[in-house]
Amino acid sequence: MISLPKSPLLYAVTQTVANLAKPVGQAVVTQTEKIVVAPQRLVQTSYAMSKLTPTGADRVSVSLCSPAQVRFAHTDVQVPDFSAYRRDGTKDSRASSAPTAAKRQAFTYMFVGGGTMAGAYAAKTVVGEFVSSLSASADVLAMAKIEIKLADIPEGKNMTFKWRGKPLFVRHRTAEEISTEQAVDISQLRHAETDAERVKDPEWLVLLGICTHLGCVPLANAGDYGGYYCPCHGSHYDASGRIRKGPAPLNMEIPEYEFPEEGLLIVG
Amino acid sequence: MSFLNKVYQAVFRRTSTFALAVVTGAFFFERGFDQGAEALFRYVNRGKLYEDVKHQFGGAGEEEEE
Repeated sequence: MISLPKSPLLYAVTQTVANLAKPVGQAVVTQTEKIVVAPQRLVQTSYAMSKLTPTGADRVSVSLCSPAQVRFAHTDVQVPDFSAYRRDGTKDSRASSAPTAAKRQAFTYMFVGGGTMAGAYAAKTVVGEFVSSLSASADVLAMAKIEIKLADIPEGKNMTFKWRGKPLFVRHRTAEEISTEQAVDISQLRHAETDAERVKDPEWLVLLGICTHLGCVPLANAGDYGGYYCPCHGSHYDASGRIRKGPAPLNMEIPEYEFPEEGLLIVG
Repeated sequence: MSFLNKVYQAVFRRTSTFALAVVTGAFFFERGFDQGAEALFRYVNRGKLYEDVKHQFGGAGEEEEE
């Protein structure tokens, strides 16, 4: 007789194996008691598991006419199906996966490489932001000077430079513009300044490119007076940077500048 | 299949070539990412950018220099 705990962890097959004793007489078929295995129950909690796990000593008693041996078979224990998680090359358990290994590795490394690529870009951006934050502080910039080679600016052109964080206009005026600005009747101006007050060298107009209305950056060579035009609220400046029309109250500001030598301008 | 195989054998197998591929890839990735972000910005803000309204102010020939 076999007594088995009621456990789904232990399975038994009712297979009898002849013992080695030779039969004394003619073999007689006897009815043996069938081993009843409890049906498997769904174990979901550790408590249920502890109740089902066999504890203590299991006893097996053997008699002449009962099965002498009980083999615990594991062949019917179901292996979970992982095929949903497997790659195509490893789904068939009988086929060798070695020939397709490179394909799977290339796929994996592609993701690793792509992630590293994006990470390198992000790291570069972070470092760049950090390093640029170490640039000159505001008090240093406030003392900044800018050196401009005047030969780079052709006649009739306006060039914009960045100076102390503001746009700096340097205009190479044509002879026509110079004569026009010098001939302007000051009494007609909102902010009366002669052209001679605004330039050191009539050929070169140096001014801060900030509209005196609300601080937009005017456009060069535009507007009704051929100088500057502010697109924000329509202020017209002439080629001397004086306000002629529109809402701005003052002429555009002239910074400190000097010509230390021929063809060189230093602002600041 | 054979293409991935070749890529693996040529690039991913050795750390040196893998790192080189990452660095060169990052260069192009940066370009692509920046240009893509710029294009997206321009698409989202189309009609509001200065380039779109520039013609309203006449031919303002202006040159920039830092």
